[in-house]
Amino acid sequence: MSVSNGHEPISRSRLASPAEPQRPAAPANGQHHRVPRTVAALCEQFSAVCASAVDPLEIASALEFEGLGDQTAKRRYGYPDVFALAQDMYFRVKREPAEPDVPSDPWEANGKLRPLLHGLLYALPGVCFPAAVGLLIGPGVEIALIVALLAAWSMGQGLAYLGYIRLGRTTDMEQTRRVLRIALAVGLLVVAAALAVTGRVVHAPPSALLFGLGEGIYMLGAGALMVLGAEAWLLVALAPGVLYSAAFLALGRPVYLQHVAWGTMATTPLLALALALIFTHRTGPRTGALFDRQEWLGTLPAVGFGLVAAGLLIFPVAAGPHGHGGINYAALLAGLPLSLSMGAAEVSLLWYRRRSQRLLRTTREMRGFGTRARLILVAAVLQYMAAAAVLTLIAAAIASKTGLLHPNLTFLPQLAAYGALGAAMFIALTLQALGSRIFPLVACAVALAFEISFHGLGVTAQIVACVDLLVVVGGFALVVLGRAVRHAY
Amino acid sequence: MDVALIGEGTYPHQFGGVSVWCDQLVRGMPDYDFELVALTATGSEPVRWSLPDNVTSVQTMPLWGPPPAYRRGRWGRSVPCPALRDLIEILLASPSEAQDRFGDVLREVFEFAQAENLTASLSSNWAVRLLSETWHDWRLDSTEAAPSLHDAVTAMQLLEHSLRPLSYPPVRADVAHAVTNGLGALPALAAKWRYGTPMVVTEHGIYMREQYLHSRDVPFRWPVRALHLRFLRRMCSLGYREAELITPGNVYNKRWEEQLGADLSRVRTVYNGVDPADFPASETEPDVPTISWAGRVDPVKDLETLLLAFALVHREMPEAKLRMFGSPPQGQEAYLERCKALASDLGLGGAATFEGRVEKIRDAYDSGQIVVLCSISEGFPYTLIEAMTCGRPCVATDVGGVTEAVADTGMIVPPRSPEALAQSCLTLLRDAGLRRKLGAAARMRALEYFTVDRAISAFDEIYTFVGTGLELPNVELEDESDDLTVSALPGRDEETELLEAAG
Repeated sequence: MSVSNGHEPISRSRLASPAEPQRPAAPANGQHHRVPRTVAALCEQFSAVCASAVDPLEIASALEFEGLGDQTAKRRYGYPDVFALAQDMYFRVKREPAEPDVPSDPWEANGKLRPLLHGLLYALPGVCFPAAVGLLIGPGVEIALIVALLAAWSMGQGLAYLGYIRLGRTTDMEQTRRVLRIALAVGLLVVAAALAVTGRVVHAPPSALLFGLGEGIYMLGAGALMVLGAEAWLLVALAPGVLYSAAFLALGRPVYLQHVAWGTMATTPLLALALALIFTHRTGPRTGALFDRQEWLGTLPAVGFGLVAAGLLIFPVAAGPHGHGGINYAALLAGLPLSLSMGAAEVSLLWYRRRSQRLLRTTREMRGFGTRARLILVAAVLQYMAAAAVLTLIAAAIASKTGLLHPNLTFLPQLAAYGALGAAMFIALTLQALGSRIFPLVACAVALAFEISFHGLGVTAQIVACVDLLVVVGGFALVVLGRAVRHAY
Repeated sequence: MDVALIGEGTYPHQFGGVSVWCDQLVRGMPDYDFELVALTATGSEPVRWSLPDNVTSVQTMPLWGPPPAYRRGRWGRSVPCPALRDLIEILLASPSEAQDRFGDVLREVFEFAQAENLTASLSSNWAVRLLSETWHDWRLDSTEAAPSLHDAVTAMQLLEHSLRPLSYPPVRADVAHAVTNGLGALPALAAKWRYGTPMVVTEHGIYMREQYLHSRDVPFRWPVRALHLRFLRRMCSLGYREAELITPGNVYNKRWEEQLGADLSRVRTVYNGVDPADFPASETEPDVPTISWAGRVDPVKDLETLLLAFALVHREMPEAKLRMFGSPPQGQEAYLERCKALASDLGLGGAATFEGRVEKIRDAYDSGQIVVLCSISEGFPYTLIEAMTCGRPCVATDVGGVTEAVADTGMIVPPRSPEALAQSCLTLLRDAGLRRKLGAAARMRALEYFTVDRAISAFDEIYTFVGTGLELPNVELEDESDDLTVSALPGRDEETELLEAAG
């Protein structure tokens, strides 16, 4: 089966090597095996095999496997050999193949809880930002943070890609762990290097650089744990930082607690890293090829997409309300729920895959499939957008309640732009999950380039870019995902 | 001379009977250079055997890993494979028809695979549509297990993965020796089509039989299984057709080969062998009457019958002991527990012991006065010829190549009948003279027919003749079938009586 998606491990052993066939269990009673007297009785005993048999040789193989040889076929049933007996049995028993158990949905197993957990995990670190404001004073701080975010997201995407690919390719967890460890090391190096360079260039304060590094460490560690299925442990890692930040904020940012708060915030990424290192610890001997050129080349689109997606998210915030700097509060208001909504995006994506699989199994002809598959895609997008809208409203309510921000109607264009961006991101993620990785990357890159070049137009540029992006990837998805072959797993 | 050794799921990435044999072959023929072609699963399996110097290269063809790299692939676009329609139609036709066409069509697919990107072509929507339209009206008898789109997608995937070896550059050698049939024949066929390299096909087990058995465990719907098994069956038949020589590991396999269309005049049996140095004659036997068994603890070995038979022996001969050596493969531990439970239910107490794995297998044979093999299904078991080389008399079930191996140097019983097994064991345990006689005869037979040297010299001859294009002399290298008349086998009458008694 093709390694079609970068997000779920594929169940293996579809066709094990013939050198190691599986053996059905022997009859448990161990009594003297009653060999039936007549062919009819034999057909009865082997009815399951005969009804599902593909040709008489299959029946012959089953007979021989149960110890019934040419001698018995001759003496007991009067056939020249087992093959003639099998031939007769094949024609005596009607073909009524048993339907195999539909394999358990790889997307059902996750259920609703895991994506919601993911949503929580994406969002919680956000609490640390307001609490860390005291750290983040100085020239070039925004740039340092942006660089950190870009580096962390892109490296995180690359790491996740490598991890999932290896996970899907082999049941040997050892290989996946090693790959993740190496990706972790490379990612950390890149983030550190990027921050060091930035620090040199814009003279950002070391505290901001360290904060950015911590962010990078957290995201990479979190990515590794997610691939290994141990993301629940992230709650442990997040606990000190988040709890302290929340308390810090609730108490109104008392100055005397500032240093302590920063200290505990630092423990979060370090804990995440420690957990990641523990879970990727080498337990067995080194086996298997680690470096596969094709795999490593394949990370480039993933890294690129992480970069571009982070850019699309951050740029309006950094560029300011009119494109000339300052903090764009509307963007902030819209941007944060968008990150939260990634959990909802996962739910919608899983729903989409389940429904389209079911459609594939129940449809017999291509003609019927295309339209219905497209409708399912549209439904999934709408589901996601509804969830994102709800989250945004909740965020707006909280913001106005706590007085952090005062949303008003002038925020609407920004919200609309982020809404379009969210939908486009969801479609891009779906396309990537189903194997199209280059097109979404190129489309998002073009949109980002457009936004950057026309940043003088402020929010209009963003709206134009995001809506166009939505139309383009949406159209592409409608064409490409209407094809049956995309939905194989 | 250069020999390409081609195998699927075996040497040098796995352990097992076939890879042991390959290792013996490669090491035993230092004058030949071997190019290994291994069909593997993911492509990241490590090489498990240490390779001798005469192995000049190892080419891995992963069936389930990354697709082969294409030097001139058209990026993003896939070219429809013109031979695909014919291929599908042949697979949907009855297996006895159009076998000649299959070879031609597969060759067209090969040429396409060498020039274009076969993986992209078969993974495209066009291919799935073609399949779903062509098999739309495929009905079975009177019932319908009508194929869905999902089946079409799955079936195309299986086909694409199976045909991957055709996309690699064909191996260059003087002889292409496929040690497994089926997909293992693809690289050999590719070499034959491109360079005219002669092919030899060896079979230890029967590929197609294993595939039928295995396919029952895989959760595919009938149309998918049917298409895939038909493809494999055609592949096996094609392998037999195109091979200069077919060398089964025992005469018993010939029956299946014949069913699948092999030309019997091209079949030469070459038995597996063991190194006599590893299995010297057992000098002494234990004082206590002991039966020993060695092997993988697996339901096909039918330890339940052994335990039931031993219970009968134990009743007659309370001082007798049963020692079983070996461990279950991964996943069969429950079977071992069941056997242990059965042993205690039968009240055998300490008389029947499960010894687990043993360092040197010959200690297992040495520890008993007789060696028992009571499997319900076997190919040509190494355990048996090893025990025979040690000079131990064997009692074994009449399955697979067992009777050929043992002939009249041991006792043959029908499978799954504890009474017959107990009778034969008691006969031997009570008669030291008979044991000595049969043991010596067994050792003589093994040393004559079942040594590694004999297998190797057979292949030396085969490679020489096949590689240079000469006809092999018509002397059969090994021909046991004529020796095995019904009357020569002891215990036959008992079998009839038992069958009748069983009602």
